[in-house]
Amino acid sequence: MTDTLYRLVYMSRNDITDEIELQIGGILEISRENNRRAEITGALMFNAGCFAQVLEGPHHAIQATFERIQCDERHSNVTVLLFEPLDARVFSNWAMAYVGTQAAAEQRFGHLGHDSGFEFDTLDGNEIFNVLRANLHDAEPA
Amino acid sequence: MSMIDSVTELEALATGIAIIDGDNVITYANTTFARRLNIEVLPRRLTDITLPEARSRDLLEWQLRDIGESALTIEIAPGRTLTFYIGARRDDQRMVIVASGWPRREESTLDLAAQLDPLTGFGNRLMYAERLRELEATGARCAAVLVIDLDHFKQVNDTLGHGAGDELLVLVAQRIRASTRGNDTLIRLGGDEFVILIPEEKRREGLEALAARLVNLLGRPFLVNGHQINIGASIGIATLVGDSEQLQDLLRHADLALYEAKHQGRAGHYVFQSQLEQRAFDRRAFEVDLRRALGLRQFTLHYQPQTSIRDERVIGFEALIRWEHPTRGRVSPLNFIPLAEEIGEIASIGRWVIRKACEQAMTWRDERLIVAVNVSPAQFVDDTIIDVVRDALAHSGLAPARLELEITEGLFLDESEAIMRRLWAIQELGVAIAIDDFGTGYASLGYLNSFPFSKIKIDKSFIQAEPSPRASALVSGILAMGSNLGMATTAEGIETAEQYHQLEQEGCSSAQGYYIARPMPADQIADFLDQFAPPTAQAG
Repeated sequence: MTDTLYRLVYMSRNDITDEIELQIGGILEISRENNRRAEITGALMFNAGCFAQVLEGPHHAIQATFERIQCDERHSNVTVLLFEPLDARVFSNWAMAYVGTQAAAEQRFGHLGHDSGFEFDTLDGNEIFNVLRANLHDAEPA
Repeated sequence: MSMIDSVTELEALATGIAIIDGDNVITYANTTFARRLNIEVLPRRLTDITLPEARSRDLLEWQLRDIGESALTIEIAPGRTLTFYIGARRDDQRMVIVASGWPRREESTLDLAAQLDPLTGFGNRLMYAERLRELEATGARCAAVLVIDLDHFKQVNDTLGHGAGDELLVLVAQRIRASTRGNDTLIRLGGDEFVILIPEEKRREGLEALAARLVNLLGRPFLVNGHQINIGASIGIATLVGDSEQLQDLLRHADLALYEAKHQGRAGHYVFQSQLEQRAFDRRAFEVDLRRALGLRQFTLHYQPQTSIRDERVIGFEALIRWEHPTRGRVSPLNFIPLAEEIGEIASIGRWVIRKACEQAMTWRDERLIVAVNVSPAQFVDDTIIDVVRDALAHSGLAPARLELEITEGLFLDESEAIMRRLWAIQELGVAIAIDDFGTGYASLGYLNSFPFSKIKIDKSFIQAEPSPRASALVSGILAMGSNLGMATTAEGIETAEQYHQLEQEGCSSAQGYYIARPMPADQIADFLDQFAPPTAQAG
């Protein structure tokens, strides 16, 4: 069971209020390091109100990562959208993108996404990405 | 780390020192450490060292789950013990010192292993008692206890198995650990009950904030065995700074507060107040009285007539339980039936009611009269109810067709196949089954189609509602539904002529309520039947 690959898609409220660029940059760096070690791939997206994350990897690694996220004060209202075994990874490399509608924020953080080489291997990845983007868009504070 | 700078000094030490990372992998070990534990190559997990007994390795693993500092003495080779002093984890690193023959604290007479819960690495009841003893010895005047109980944990065990339940408990323990501090003592009392013993002074606000955080954290989803699991937690708090005066009282008081938290709707916390103790005492006394009531013959049945609206004759009686207590007076079923269900007394009380009602119905001179008996969903948890009905009929000799069981919609909340099977079994005995309090439950109406109920009893709240187009539309709707499904309809709680005539016009089959007659003791039924005059005759 623990060696089977799983995909987890969740969203959470993002309680980061100040030094957003710095904090997100830090989260990205730590996540990349942790995930490389734990054989986890996926994508993290955020806007000023929400995190959305796709994680792919062995069950125990997903579980451990998810527990770390759950205990992180910066996340609240965590909603799991999907948790199921997968045939093949669709997010082959850990990536992160800023997704939002505020032009100013796009300018400030857009490069984080570009830097990470955000891309999908299959159409599945695009679908997940689109659903998450739609959710994030709805959650964007006015 | 400055320690690493003086590696040469460390190497020369006669004490074994090592640094381990977050995964318990030894990243550095001095010569003494390596020699004592026969380590030749690094990196290596501390828990992979050769130990004579698997149990010793388990102990070490459990101990390492605690991120705070601790000590553990285990047998490293036959007849040779070694003490591990494990430092608190900081930045995913911690120091481990090994030594033999180092003094252990005199007062720790109990072996650490006996005080640990193998599953979570938390302490157990023994550790709680031990820590309480230590606090008492130091004359501590401030301490607090949080009791955490998981909501819906049993369902996880029942549906996903004990393996998943155990894995969930480990994750719960981790979340609790992540929210607490190093000198808090974490205990698993057993099952899904956890305790945090906080030794230092804490203001009530701080404790409540911790409880709220834990409730929030444990209410977030878990991922176990490929499943998403959502549970919740209720927390009771007791503190010496608050209403608890003795250390020894903390756990009991926190439990009372937990009970209160659960009764206030779960997923919350409650701080112990002294009046909870009185309340618990009263509740216990009430419970004891209830358990004795049957044996002391304090229950009686009263009977409320049901009349056919069309024929204007009495068609039967609903049996209603009365509890007459020598000092409490008459206790309402609304108060004691929920408690009877909670403490399991409902089975024997329910058995008595069915049996008594059948016996008394046998004495009625009109053999067409039916007797309706209320049955609690709690009586349907197993097949006993079938035997109870069969025995009551056999014992009294009552024709099965004269008995009607009144069940409520609550029985169908679970949509259980077992419940339907029991209903069919009772139906096969020839006993009718009616739906009571119709319209007040939350069950879907689908169940109406799945069983030939004899009768729908419209709840009195609809009958007694202020006359309005909406209220009458609801009643008409229920009456039409009954007629379409071929089920009789009884209106309960009729109090006025207006209500009666309205129902008569709309085609309701039968009536019950003060307008016809109040419930009466069994020995008044004969007179009532002699003198009964149809309500319309009274009105005219």
